[in-house]
Amino acid sequence: MNTYNPIYALLLFFVISFLGYLLFRPRKGWFWLIKNNLKSNEKIVIEDVLKHLYHSENSGKEDNVNALTRALKFKDSIIVDVIKKMAINELIQFDGDILKLTNSGRDYALRIVRVHRLWEKYLAEKTGYDKKEWHEMAESKEHELSNEETNLLATQLGNPIYDPHGDPIPTNTGKMADVHGEFLSSLGVNTVGKIVHIEDEPDVIYKQILAENIHIGSQIRVVENNNQRVVFYAEGEEFKLAPIVAANITVAVLEKDEVVEENIVRLSNLKDGEIAHILGISKESRGDNRRRLLDLGFVRGTEICIDLMSPMKDPIAYLVKGTSIALRRDQASKILIKKD
Amino acid sequence: MVNKVNSACDMCTHFNAKGLKKLGVNTNNYDFVVALAGNPNTGKSTVFNALTGLRQHTGNWPGKTVVRAEGAFEYNSKKFKLIDLPGTYSLLSTSQDEEVARNFILFGKPDVTVIVVDASRLERNLNLVLQILEITDKAVLCLNLMDEAKRNNIKIDIRTLARDLGIPVVPTSARYSQGISDLIHTINEVANGEIICKPHQIKNVPKNIETAVRTLSTEIKKQFPTIPNSRWIAFRLLEGDTHIVDALKTGELV
Amino acid sequence: MSKNSIENIIALSSDLRWKIGDDFHDGLAEGIYADASEIANGSISIDNETPRFRLDSKIDKIVTSKTWGFPIMFLILGVILWLTIIGANYPSSMLANLLLDNIHPVLKSFATNIGMPWWLDGFLIDGVYLAVAWVIAVMLPPMAIFFPMFTLLEDFGYLPRVAFNLDYMFKKSGAHGKQALTMSMGFGCNAAGVVATRIIDSPRERLIAIITNNFSLCNGRWPTQILIATIFIGAVVPASFSAFASLSAVIGVAILGLFFMFFTSWALTKTVLKGEVSTFNLELPPYRPPRFWKTVYTSLIDRTIIVLWRAILFAAPAGAVIWLISNIYIGNESVATWTINSLDGFGFLLGMNGVILLAYIVAIPANEIVIPTILMLTVMASGIVGGAGAGVMFELDSVTATGDILRAGGWTLLTAINLMLFSLLHNPCSTTIYTIYKETKSAKWTTVASILPVIMGFVITFLVTQIWRLF
Repeated sequence: MNTYNPIYALLLFFVISFLGYLLFRPRKGWFWLIKNNLKSNEKIVIEDVLKHLYHSENSGKEDNVNALTRALKFKDSIIVDVIKKMAINELIQFDGDILKLTNSGRDYALRIVRVHRLWEKYLAEKTGYDKKEWHEMAESKEHELSNEETNLLATQLGNPIYDPHGDPIPTNTGKMADVHGEFLSSLGVNTVGKIVHIEDEPDVIYKQILAENIHIGSQIRVVENNNQRVVFYAEGEEFKLAPIVAANITVAVLEKDEVVEENIVRLSNLKDGEIAHILGISKESRGDNRRRLLDLGFVRGTEICIDLMSPMKDPIAYLVKGTSIALRRDQASKILIKKD
Repeated sequence: MVNKVNSACDMCTHFNAKGLKKLGVNTNNYDFVVALAGNPNTGKSTVFNALTGLRQHTGNWPGKTVVRAEGAFEYNSKKFKLIDLPGTYSLLSTSQDEEVARNFILFGKPDVTVIVVDASRLERNLNLVLQILEITDKAVLCLNLMDEAKRNNIKIDIRTLARDLGIPVVPTSARYSQGISDLIHTINEVANGEIICKPHQIKNVPKNIETAVRTLSTEIKKQFPTIPNSRWIAFRLLEGDTHIVDALKTGELV
Repeated sequence: MSKNSIENIIALSSDLRWKIGDDFHDGLAEGIYADASEIANGSISIDNETPRFRLDSKIDKIVTSKTWGFPIMFLILGVILWLTIIGANYPSSMLANLLLDNIHPVLKSFATNIGMPWWLDGFLIDGVYLAVAWVIAVMLPPMAIFFPMFTLLEDFGYLPRVAFNLDYMFKKSGAHGKQALTMSMGFGCNAAGVVATRIIDSPRERLIAIITNNFSLCNGRWPTQILIATIFIGAVVPASFSAFASLSAVIGVAILGLFFMFFTSWALTKTVLKGEVSTFNLELPPYRPPRFWKTVYTSLIDRTIIVLWRAILFAAPAGAVIWLISNIYIGNESVATWTINSLDGFGFLLGMNGVILLAYIVAIPANEIVIPTILMLTVMASGIVGGAGAGVMFELDSVTATGDILRAGGWTLLTAINLMLFSLLHNPCSTTIYTIYKETKSAKWTTVASILPVIMGFVITFLVTQIWRLF
């Protein structure tokens, strides 16, 4: 029986496992790519065109067919075909060579936006997916949900007003809350404000913002703003960003009398022996995590101090309402306190 | 199996020790259903064991109750079926344990709900107590671990607490079987309607929420006049609890 | 009640909720706590400010300290495992002596006396009875030692501190610190370890703990590891080192198990479990002196007896199957011989043989009967003199004699190493699989938990074998 060469056996094994990897690796595996390709049909192209036009019009930009073919990832011929059909169905109209949404086109686009943002909210609240993945997952889900499913989803989520990035979610009648604010890059030194929106596109910049651990809802104070960098304080920590990155963060400027609390610090900054009071939980803590923290008594006004440090300094056990509760560092960084 | 309870209360006139039989797991033909709720790590299972004479394992671990345990005891020839709910910090979240506890108190409509709390961590435990009192008005507070509270020099004014909560409060140290007979007696009185509770309603809810809850619960009362806990239903509807929506549709709550 | 009025209520609640905004839950939770705090302040008075019992925080400072935290932990776990493995030897051999060497022959002669047909006597006494007796003899003593000790620690309140100390390491692989405890429990019994995952209240981390519990060598597998290591690994070094070498090999396999546990946890969080909700919270309860006898009693009843009972239920049919496959003939060969021959090729690729694979298939109900089954099948397949007859499992008191049989069956050092690896990396026993299903209520996760380790076992033994044969 001992007549085979182990080298061949090993080679065969590695070839098979490599093929398996190519086929089934997450997202970029051939199997998934082929599966996704089979799904992309006219409906998706129409909806993507509508959404693109909607966002362009909202930011005051104008699009022609060329701009559309550049912006969307589909074949040019398909896009041109679809645009013709959409014009016939009165979803869009031509103003010279500029493309505009009709009223029914805008309604349709709003519905897509609603599904997209609701789905991001759903991913944030009810699943464990990482922030980095929300956008891409919502991009495919927005073409799949029916109207009833969307409304059911909204009810389960408690009819949210904003999505996790701070964008308003349209209601099923098209109502939408406003976002007031200015780009962080345009704020003067010493301006105090609250981060209300973090843009999730383009991906490269969004990932940079996430890496900095900047939280939506944080109160900030700008300390430096020039061509090289924007520096600001938030929750007891200093952040430095390139202006181009800062432009993707929207801040609602607070008037002097609106400034609720100075000296907001993250719980992760609390040192052994210090006593503090909880001011609240950051908007970045979501879903079950947030609820559990509230249930455990991490609510506004509660006194808190360090009870025990683990050998690695993470997690740390805090004494809250008479009980010692251990939290990990990333959880503690989302609880805001004021040191006594 | 007849276990005699040895405590000072055996001597009291109002506790009828001869009327007590611990029935273990024999839960047939009961007259009353008693639910046992409480935070994790408050000695809830110890109370359960003390009441039923069972010896379920009780670890010093948050969330140790392994299965939804059932047991029974007989007092003054009435049979009580006891259900040990999972220990939870709250009833507002979505975890499986909380759902089990919440649904049992709401849909199972127990005749009495015994809420076991840790006397030395009263404030934290009241969070759950106040939520339960929104659902049911037949409840007894079992102030357990009194021995630890005493060691930590914590004194609790039982009368004030009972008045503020609107339900009877019984101090116990279940590990040492202290106060259990008193607890049984009180459970019996609440079950028979000899004690009528007027449970506390949550007051400090932010104004915008309070108004919404009031509007909604008035509407619910108008449509379903027999629902006893319209305020809690309103809380849950606002939370988006689809289970409650279904229950309204099937008429389970009336 | 009319459907319309319900729809009205739901519509009203949707509308109201939108107006309240996203802070509903926060506002409610804060409101309830504000009430709680008012009521508590109204009725509590503290004589002098001693918020936590002083002895508690002294103990805590030591058991979670940088210097002492880990040594204390490993010392305690080490002592428990040592006491379990060493301490169980004596009662185990007593039970084996009683059930296998004394009662079994008595039953056999009784059967002969009343004229029971050979097949019924073989099926019942050599099949069912032997398997059950084996499981009791090997499983009961270690569990009866391990569980009470572990439960005492649990009741005292030390275990949450272990989770606290180790969480940092587990977090790196996407798991929960409490998994350290369910794993330790798994050293006693994987089924009990799976049940213990109930202490983990985060869905994702709990699934991870359930799926990876099998990587803790359970007490049904320790004896196999020790026996094989003593026979084969101890033999390659000078006699004075042999005890040390075989012990290190066994510990090495256990540590390898930890490595696979961390690796699998990490891989699971990156792939199939990515979307599951993950939360963390860990309450450190005050220490409470355990009530010794009560704890011992309840842990024996709750854990030991229940697990043992389940194991017996599964072992009995396994014993029957083992006897049947060795005694039912297709043509000239028994079913067992036929299966061994057809599995031999695949077994050879993995550096093992058909006997081992067949033993692991029929011994799915209980790891305890793997060695007796292997011995019986080896004797049967290779036609060596020895053993107790077709379908009758046996074990030998002498390690050397056992080694001789295995060597005669064609075993080498490579076979031994692969068997040790495969004993670590194979499907959980049927008791555990059943428990996983009961805990997860999901056929999908039960399948993953059952298949994943076998595939890993195949891959690892395959690679080890090919690399071994290269040189």
